[in-house]
Amino acid sequence: MNKKETLKSSLRILKRNKMRTFFMVLGIIIGVASLSITFTIGRGFQKQITERAKKYLGSSDILVTAVKIKLEGKSVDNNLVSSLTIDDLKAIASEIPLVSTYAPVQFLPNCEIIAGNKNISTSVRGSSATGQIVWNRGVIKGDYFDDAEELNATRVALIGTKIAETLFGESDPIGAQIRIGDVPFTVKGVLEPKGIDPHGNDMDFDIVVPITTMMKRLMNVDYIAMAKIVISDENRMDEAVSGITAVLNERHHITNGESDFLILTPTFVKEKIKEMTKVFNVFLPLISLIALLAAGIVIVVLMLMSVNERISEIGLRKAVGARSKDVVSQFLIEVSITSLLGGIIGITIGLICFKVFCSIIKISFFIPWQIYVFGVLLPILVGIIAGIIPARKAAKYNPIEALR
Amino acid sequence: MIQLKNVSKKFSNNGQKPVQALKETNLVINQGEFVAIVGPSGSGKSSMMNILGMLDRPTSGEYYFENREINTLSEDELASIRNKKIGFVFQKFHLLPKTTALENVELPLLYSDRKNIRGLALDALKQVGLEERATHRANELSGGQQQRVAIARALVNEPEIIFADEPTGNLDSASGQEIMKIFQELNEAGKTIVLITHDLTIAAYAKRTIQIHDGIVNEN
Repeated sequence: MNKKETLKSSLRILKRNKMRTFFMVLGIIIGVASLSITFTIGRGFQKQITERAKKYLGSSDILVTAVKIKLEGKSVDNNLVSSLTIDDLKAIASEIPLVSTYAPVQFLPNCEIIAGNKNISTSVRGSSATGQIVWNRGVIKGDYFDDAEELNATRVALIGTKIAETLFGESDPIGAQIRIGDVPFTVKGVLEPKGIDPHGNDMDFDIVVPITTMMKRLMNVDYIAMAKIVISDENRMDEAVSGITAVLNERHHITNGESDFLILTPTFVKEKIKEMTKVFNVFLPLISLIALLAAGIVIVVLMLMSVNERISEIGLRKAVGARSKDVVSQFLIEVSITSLLGGIIGITIGLICFKVFCSIIKISFFIPWQIYVFGVLLPILVGIIAGIIPARKAAKYNPIEALR
Repeated sequence: MIQLKNVSKKFSNNGQKPVQALKETNLVINQGEFVAIVGPSGSGKSSMMNILGMLDRPTSGEYYFENREINTLSEDELASIRNKKIGFVFQKFHLLPKTTALENVELPLLYSDRKNIRGLALDALKQVGLEERATHRANELSGGQQQRVAIARALVNEPEIIFADEPTGNLDSASGQEIMKIFQELNEAGKTIVLITHDLTIAAYAKRTIQIHDGIVNEN
């Protein structure tokens, strides 16, 4: 069989039966578009969360949180009384040489911040002087607080750019007085803008004060909520985690395995994200697959109709020398072209929707490689599987009966 | 070129009495002949044409085409012989309706390994005087023109023999005569032609007439 000419003649046949071709293509378009939309959106969410999580937790970072902070929850329970202390962190740093630095964290949500006649409600975070390295966030104006201020529990605050804008507008906030609740503070610096954190909070509304000031003057507690520990070799993460676990178990007298702390590593977070986005990555595409199956059924029905309409054409082709396999190929080529066309239009629609989605959730557009499988291989496969029965039926016709 | 030895064809319709379409037929057709097989409807002439054209197999007997026993060949081998050696012209033309004359003529070439398909198809259309209608769709042509396209299609792969089954049956007498003249010319140019008809005036164009009645062949 002359492949080039057969391909051309298949294209002509499809063109001349516009209605049938249209519905076959449409079925595939709907299947492939819904599949690629749900799949890419799942990937998009995953990328968004991963990017945010990376800002929060680098590859050599470990988060130690007092029990049971939930990564997917809004924030740490503010009534949580924890047994995690700064002394625990000091012990970890001295006993595990892999630990290069760390920063403790304590939160106080929904604080009223007052400056002059303006006020805003936001959460306040206590950190250490090392915080600017550990959290990779310095100041764009003024200075970060230092070790001495941390040691003396000085009332200095670093404010996010949006806080500065809200409270001080155009004027310079450095050196200005603010009140956190009833406690007066001096603004020492304006924090680098960071955008949205993994919990969906705008980090530019952050206020950071020395951890000691936070514990003694704002909360009156002797424990911390969590800490971020940075290790010197990311390849020895497991070793660091087991070291930290051992130190904390010993210091907290934990013997029965019921820890009062949770250690989050980048790997752990990645797993969590995968679990969270499972509904998008697995279940929704599975549902869309049903749409593609429906397209397959449409193809079977339309092809059977096509075969019935074209009995005399099939008879003629066989009379002039087409072998059975030529007839089968002819129908399969037709269905493959239709499916491929539907697939390409389907993924194009899917990717356009995804591009819009990316700009809405503010991530950079990307094309997951699986989309080519969905858009090209899968529809052809569905088409061929759906087309094989009608095609073989066509090939079985006896030329004399078909020509009658 | 063609030799039938004691060829019979029986059709059995579910449970009904089998119909004997051809009975112990012996026939020789030589290269370059123009033969008419004549008989009334139901006489077995279509069964004869289907067997001769390798669209069907005999129930018993032997069929030699160019000294080759046909019964032993597979379906695909028969398709290949039909493609290379045989041209068909049918009463109902059997053109693909929404397809141009040229594309209709190209059809047998799709299943051959010939090159320059378009050129060969145009040459064949020229032979039947229809090159100007090449890009017209089959359903836009008159009956006579459609049958000429069908003849061009039968000729395009340069077959040894052309089988024409009631080629004028659906045409008015003027068009019918034109078609028969084309067959005459083709025969004069050396093609073997087997014409199946019930019409004795049409059969008169042939050089040799074979009568068939109730499946039995009688040569005049």
